[in-house]
Amino acid sequence: MIYQAAIDESFPVAEPTQFERLRRGDPAALAEAIGQYRHRLYRYLLRLVRDPASADDLFQQTWLHVVRHLHRYDAARSFDTWLFAIAHNAAMDLLRRRPNESLEDREFALPAGGPDALSTVLAGERTAILAATMAALPALYREALTLRFEESMKLEEIAEVTHAPLSTVKSRVQRGLEAMKQKLRKEDIL
Amino acid sequence: MSDHESVRQLLALSAAGLLDCSQERMVREHARQCAACAAELDEFAALAAGLSALPSPQPPAYLLARTTALLAAEADRRQGAAFAAASAVFAFALVLLTGQALRTLVGDSAALAWLAWAAITSVFGAASALVLTSRRRLERSTV
Ligand SMILES: [Zn+2]
Repeated sequence: MIYQAAIDESFPVAEPTQFERLRRGDPAALAEAIGQYRHRLYRYLLRLVRDPASADDLFQQTWLHVVRHLHRYDAARSFDTWLFAIAHNAAMDLLRRRPNESLEDREFALPAGGPDALSTVLAGERTAILAATMAALPALYREALTLRFEESMKLEEIAEVTHAPLSTVKSRVQRGLEAMKQKLRKEDIL
Repeated sequence: MSDHESVRQLLALSAAGLLDCSQERMVREHARQCAACAAELDEFAALAAGLSALPSPQPPAYLLARTTALLAAEADRRQGAAFAAASAVFAFALVLLTGQALRTLVGDSAALAWLAWAAITSVFGAASALVLTSRRRLERSTV
């Protein structure tokens, strides 16, 4: 079957007609949705699993799950959170199989060190250090931060994606930010 | 807990925009009189702004095509399965109808012989279909 992907980034996915087309298995509607979400979904997965090959693989797995379970999607709810929750589950399965990955350390400290000569830090380097510092957080903390600050999700939406209580989401955002601030202040970034 | 201590716990969440109105007001009012909290709030705000402005990683160019191809194969597989199921139902009905016709036209023994023959051929048919499907799956996984 040939997919004619006429991708229009500005097409709002919340439009019911696109969902109806998706639900019917319309390949063009599916290709549109994949195109619309590709940057956000890929970024989220990459922040979580940190290596491009795994993010790539999880991206495809997520959409395969979407087409297989589209009949279970409740159109009254947000497609964003449904999609990201599927991606979350796939990423968690992968992260749990990694021996050295800590999802949520009760007591964690960011590794010391990192780029030196910070007095000469340029704007570009500053963002690189920010990204690296976030990547060093335990998975569930960096997930909470990317969903809050890069996806601009509300507390309730993050809770839905991560299947966590609101209080847990809050504490992950708080602890993630506090750990990052401490580390960055030590390195004179803030 | 003093005002200062309880507000300090809220600074990160204030910068993240995750406090309710009354907590947010408490933070703002305290930060107006407490230089330490005001400075820390500024740092959290700078961090939050930095995180919101991180450059987005670019998905690889082939990702879209690869994903749609995967989903097309999935749709193909489903269509194939639906078609196979429909053909099986049709063939079963045809065998029964032919058996019924033979029984009325020729007799019980002819109908029984037909049903036995149909059973044997369908076993072979099903076996070869299974072999074909597993070979297709193998081919797809090696592509
Ligand atoms: Zn204070």
